[in-house]
Amino acid sequence: MLYLKLAWRNLFRNKRRTIIAGIAIALGLGALIFMDAFFISEEAVMVNSATSSFLGEAQISREGYREKQTADLTIENFDLVMSGLAEDTLVKAYTPRVQSFGTASSASDVRGILIYGVDPKREPNLSIVDEAIVEGEFLTGEDSHDILVGIQLADYMDLSLGDRIVLTLTQVNSGDITQQLFRVSGIFDFGDRSMNAGAVFINIDEARRMLSIGETAHTISVNFIDPILSRDSTLVFWDHYSEGVNEAVSWTKIMPQIAMMSDMLLIGKIAMFVILMGVVVFVILNTLFMALYERMFELGVLRAVGTRPAGVAKLLIFEAGALAIVGIVMGAILGLAVTLLVANIGVDFTDVEFSGITMIDKIYPVLRGYQFIIYPIIVFIFTLLIGIYPAVHAARIEPAKAMRRSF
Amino acid sequence: MSDNHSEIIITENLHKTYEDNGVPVHAVQGVDLTINSGEFSSLVGPSGSGKTTLLNLISGLDNPSKGKVWLKGKAISEMSGKELSDFRRDHIGFIFQAYNLIPVLTVEENIEYIMLLQGVDKEERHHRVMEILEDVDLSGFEDRFPPKLSGGQQQRVAVARAMVARPDIILADEPTANLDSETSGDLLDMMRHLNQKTGMTFVFSTHDQIVIDRAMRVVTLKDGKIFSDKTRD
Repeated sequence: MLYLKLAWRNLFRNKRRTIIAGIAIALGLGALIFMDAFFISEEAVMVNSATSSFLGEAQISREGYREKQTADLTIENFDLVMSGLAEDTLVKAYTPRVQSFGTASSASDVRGILIYGVDPKREPNLSIVDEAIVEGEFLTGEDSHDILVGIQLADYMDLSLGDRIVLTLTQVNSGDITQQLFRVSGIFDFGDRSMNAGAVFINIDEARRMLSIGETAHTISVNFIDPILSRDSTLVFWDHYSEGVNEAVSWTKIMPQIAMMSDMLLIGKIAMFVILMGVVVFVILNTLFMALYERMFELGVLRAVGTRPAGVAKLLIFEAGALAIVGIVMGAILGLAVTLLVANIGVDFTDVEFSGITMIDKIYPVLRGYQFIIYPIIVFIFTLLIGIYPAVHAARIEPAKAMRRSF
Repeated sequence: MSDNHSEIIITENLHKTYEDNGVPVHAVQGVDLTINSGEFSSLVGPSGSGKTTLLNLISGLDNPSKGKVWLKGKAISEMSGKELSDFRRDHIGFIFQAYNLIPVLTVEENIEYIMLLQGVDKEERHHRVMEILEDVDLSGFEDRFPPKLSGGQQQRVAVARAMVARPDIILADEPTANLDSETSGDLLDMMRHLNQKTGMTFVFSTHDQIVIDRAMRVVTLKDGKIFSDKTRD
């Protein structure tokens, strides 16, 4: 208790130095809290951009389809899978898709494109295709010959609403060429060049008919009731829907670059922590050693009157702890204030592409309770550990040498 | 060494040589000194005569180059660092030239510091602090911080701190160096009174005539050796 009291009061003997050291710790902790809050949101926005724009949090497809993308690899037992998903309590939304490469011909151009056949009723529950419409409207399902084209494709092929476009593709079983005339009912802007310039959306039934694949699909995109489930590799969902020749995979496998980005964010967070704490180490060491040399005589007196070396060491460590508390309080306030401020404004990376993913939302840093518990505890323990060095130095003080000035 | 415990401090052929900028300095050279329990003695001599070094050696704050020191019949050179710290805590009180109170602790906290190290309970500590403050005529000053006290008052707190743990020996290094003559006289009279009241042994290092005049025994050092040793009747 005496050492605690002494350490706390010693801290304020040189207020300016304590404030400067406290600010250094506060900046370290505040930056840590803010960066963590930012990374949480950045990752969430990236994942959300990737999964909610079109991909989904999980996909069910025929084994090998993801690699080969050939139209004959359709989902087996499609109806069973669909009814299973309808009853699955972990599943929030799901939608089947038919995909095929083909060509699009307009009055002025012919281009190779990726044709998506989507379910007009289910698709809006899972992706943002309907929200990406900038002209016209999303597929209604009433006219099977409506087509949605990307804004860049429309530009290249000189297409506008109501214009005719002919899709050509190869039937799966016969290998016959099939053609169908569509009318542009909507133009979409995904913010993603590959989608805007190379994809079209038509009604899934029409796509099935053109490909002659029957009542099935190439993929079923799934969203869970909680997005975190998509990262749970132990979830029974994966095994259940991977029975037979089908496979169910998470977005982390479909787009490994996002999972890698998450890992990179974690590494970035650790690197940030190491750098910030590195700065804090030197500030604390400097502060404690300055305090030590400034009070060398006094510490010599404490030793002379019977304080054991461990007692002097304890005093220095307590001073480090007291300094940490001051810095932590300041840092927590700073981190909270900066994070709340930025969370209120948001950091706008919308339409910016990272690793092939176009961010669809602003980044709003997210505060979590652990940021104000775990990080301060780490900083506190870290500061105490740093304090050991000057404490050992202080414990080795020889009273006679320390008091050379007088005694 | 004698087994007579009235001989509270014994030094035997004590030497201390240290280097100052590469030049060996023989601060203490073969000092044989015996101080009896309850003495009120002073080590006197000009600057550089070895007074402070001898006090450092006696208290175990410094190690001799040669020779031995016995305190209360125990050779301090045979004690571990921890034992020596505990021995100083329990048996030696220090008074320093510049008072050296801890500025962030109140008068009471400064005085009770050693008792806290000794594990004396709170009630007993408070009682003894109040008692010693009365002895040094500082009753009512217990909640003050040292920087708010005069030099004389601070040195009286230092005396109280040195004595409150009831050590056997008080070592005082130039205790009046920063005080005016009247305050010095008062302080010495007070210490003499406490010496008579408690029977504690006082050893001063000084060149202040006020201290020398009041000492019962005056040991004069010159060039690290005992030049004379006179006891008053």
